[in-house]
Amino acid sequence: MTTTRPSLARVLQRAWGPVRPVMIVTLPLAGAAGALACAGLSWRDGNANRTIAALEAGQDRPVAADAVPEVLLARIRFLAARERLDEAEPLIAALDGSGSPALRALAQIALGNARLRQAFGKLEAGDLEPATPLVGLARQAYRRALTLRPEAWDAKFNLDVASRLVRDFPERGREQGEEMPADPKKIWTDIPGQPRGLP
Amino acid sequence: MRTRAIKRPRVARKIRVAQESRVVVMAGILSACLPLPAEAQIGSVVVRSPRPFGLFVGDRFDAKVEIEAADGFAPQAASLPKPGPLTYWLDLTAVSVAPGPARDGHRLWRLSLTYQTFYAALDVRRLDLPAFTVTFASEVAHATTSAVAEVPGWQISVSPLREIQPPPVADPVEYLRPESPNPRLDPALPRALAWAFASFGLAGLLALARDRAWWPFRHRPARAFAAAWRQVRRQAARPDAEVAYREALLALHRGLDRTDGRRVMGEDLAAFLARHPAYAALAQPLDRFFRASREVFFGRDPSVAQRTCPFPDLMATARRLAAAERAAKAGGRS
Repeated sequence: MTTTRPSLARVLQRAWGPVRPVMIVTLPLAGAAGALACAGLSWRDGNANRTIAALEAGQDRPVAADAVPEVLLARIRFLAARERLDEAEPLIAALDGSGSPALRALAQIALGNARLRQAFGKLEAGDLEPATPLVGLARQAYRRALTLRPEAWDAKFNLDVASRLVRDFPERGREQGEEMPADPKKIWTDIPGQPRGLP
Repeated sequence: MRTRAIKRPRVARKIRVAQESRVVVMAGILSACLPLPAEAQIGSVVVRSPRPFGLFVGDRFDAKVEIEAADGFAPQAASLPKPGPLTYWLDLTAVSVAPGPARDGHRLWRLSLTYQTFYAALDVRRLDLPAFTVTFASEVAHATTSAVAEVPGWQISVSPLREIQPPPVADPVEYLRPESPNPRLDPALPRALAWAFASFGLAGLLALARDRAWWPFRHRPARAFAAAWRQVRRQAARPDAEVAYREALLALHRGLDRTDGRRVMGEDLAAFLARHPAYAALAQPLDRFFRASREVFFGRDPSVAQRTCPFPDLMATARRLAAAERAAKAGGRS
């Protein structure tokens, strides 16, 4: 031990000689590069938050498909709230590529809510026929959200609401799973078209 | 923890002993009427679930299936249930299998299954999960034997999220959950990192400035040659070459004097190099510098000096002296 220690120190000292001039120039450069990159990220985050705030306030802001996932989600919600779902489709595809499961689930919930609002509109107007596929689309969206994030409680609740509008029944000939004919009186409990109170 | 266990011993059935075709037929007959060793290939099958009740729509729940199989038998990957929708209200999301401990010629195989229910229940009710089979195969010499373990169906109990008849509302949209606020980005972390990097870079810049004797470390005693190199470089821009050369020589002389702490003349060079071995590699350029200096300050023809040691050579010497000084006094220890 006593012989290796000084030799190790000497080896380190000898190695430090040629490394030092390079290090002393590289360190400030690396620090400056890192500071610039992080400042850029911080600036981008601030910008994204301003865009999200504007979209939440109802001001339309164009959002490119390669934007930050949170901004994509804000724009999808903005479009879904105004029933401009065709414009939202490419953004949902972009979010599926870049976003986390939680954000993608929120986008699906927004989509499901939009479909369900459309269905409510039809039901209020008495159009039962076109409402059914809309409820089906809403349920699909909620189910996708729950597949992405099983603890998305808003999706669970809204799926329950949608499921009571249009229930699905086990396909005929399928042996597996439950088989439970439900009482039709119980199914249609909260149809919005139900008469409220006496005339 | 209460677990649900369904024991099904001796459910195994010998499928085939595929060595010769007639053996296959024989095996079929034998398995029907004789207690074969094949019946012992699969022992008990137990399904355990940590919480098969209180499940809401969209909940994931786990099941562990323990299958006892004879040593040498392993479950075939292709026979395991595939993740995906099982029924209109049930998805299988994950399946994995792992061998457990071996005991008395049997090995316990643990099957982990994760399901997700999409049953929007109106009241608390029990639902049946589908049964399935897993094929176990053994690779013994000259024959492939397989046995089927039958995993029985089991039940879960689902619960409703809301009452059957919710109170009426003015607008049906009010039945839905209000949308949560949009998630924001947090710029605090990149901002903190940017500050950290900036202070790190500034510290590095200070170290560099001290090492090179830049402002505010211009007059560091340990960097005499750095100051000399700076002065020589400044002379290069002067229009009067004669005066610039003289000033550059003087600057280098001052650098040498300050490094040694005394006046260094041409004849002192050997002693100077002995005292400062870091500059030994520069013995020849220094020698030429002293000769040129003698010509300029004490000689008759200054142009001879410019031939002995031209101005670019002088600059190169000054630069190499400054570099050697930095390397020798690394970190300003001396």
